[in-house]
Amino acid sequence: MSIFTLALTFFIVTNPVGNSPAIISLIKNYPIKDQQRILFRESIFSLLIALFFLFLGETLETRLAIQDYALGISGGILLIVIALKMIFSVFDEPVDGKPKEEPFIVPIASPLISGAGLLTMIMLYSKQENNNLNIFFALLLAWIGITAVLVSAPYLQVILGKRGMAALEQFMGMVLTLIGVEMILKGSALFLNILMQN
Amino acid sequence: MNLINLSIILFFIMDSFGNISSYLTLTKDLAPARQRYIIFREMLIALAVMLLLFFIGSYLCSFLTLSQASLKLSAGLILFLHSIKILFPEPTNLRSNLPRGEPFIFPLAVPLIASPALMASILLFSNIRPYRSIILGAILCAWLASVLILYFSRTIYKLIGSNGLRASERLLGMVLVIIAVQFFLDGILTFWTNYQLAKL
Repeated sequence: MSIFTLALTFFIVTNPVGNSPAIISLIKNYPIKDQQRILFRESIFSLLIALFFLFLGETLETRLAIQDYALGISGGILLIVIALKMIFSVFDEPVDGKPKEEPFIVPIASPLISGAGLLTMIMLYSKQENNNLNIFFALLLAWIGITAVLVSAPYLQVILGKRGMAALEQFMGMVLTLIGVEMILKGSALFLNILMQN
Repeated sequence: MNLINLSIILFFIMDSFGNISSYLTLTKDLAPARQRYIIFREMLIALAVMLLLFFIGSYLCSFLTLSQASLKLSAGLILFLHSIKILFPEPTNLRSNLPRGEPFIFPLAVPLIASPALMASILLFSNIRPYRSIILGAILCAWLASVLILYFSRTIYKLIGSNGLRASERLLGMVLVIIAVQFFLDGILTFWTNYQLAKL
């Protein structure tokens, strides 16, 4: 596969356009400048996580005896935990004037951007291609697109307004639950295959 | 089941990187010599707890009639909840409410280093019969690595700063979630295999 096909695949798996409403509703309490700073930082973190997996993922998996299905299931559980927090914590505006701790790595950089889908995809291709340099450049290329989408995403808030964002948070909490359940089901299917072989 | 793999798993569960910031806040008012003394004392206590669990593990499990599957499931469960607390810090948990004064056993030795998750994993590993010497070696290796990390914690803090510490805490927390889920699924697998064997 060429670098461009790989980059396109990575971009689609990461799904920055679909994820950005959810990401924005996670950080809706910050001014737009701060949101852009947070998103830029998180996208760098997610790139680092992806690169880490590209070069060390296989070692880590064999060393820790981690199977592919565990990756998907744990990502799904994390997403559900976050989604439940989004749905059932409407009124946790900062009470004592102190803003809440801003999201750091979890959940934006991973598992939302560098989720189980992308990480397993990277591992899969790095086994197939035997040329990590290709995947490396494809990842970089995909990241330029992803970062551009993410950094322009905060303007969504300007269009929707504060009340619109609060409504969007509820809806996106539901969508994140769905994504999480889907990830768990995919992992469970893999796990059940192994279970049935015994 | 080799020495390096087991040591790495145990090292991750000890979560020494995540404990650096707690350790630094606990000891920030003490003289450097006293800090070093505290590290060794607390780490020795933690090691004693681990070794005790390792040696009485199989007796404890036969006394309570615990199966390997339930050990795996509960170790996975505890580790999972533990790592969720690392990933989503809340104002009510231990890490943000460290007690004042010099740490003695609580909270540095138990539960920050020898956490319930680590105890459960050691119980789990201590029941795998043919590998006892490897597991003992792995406990020692992981413990030694944690001692080194805590000993050089100030240098590490200066090197990567508080944001770097937070980042590594989060990343290790995510690895812990994956390990926990893997434990849990292994437990289901063991249970299922035993169930099928019993049916035959």
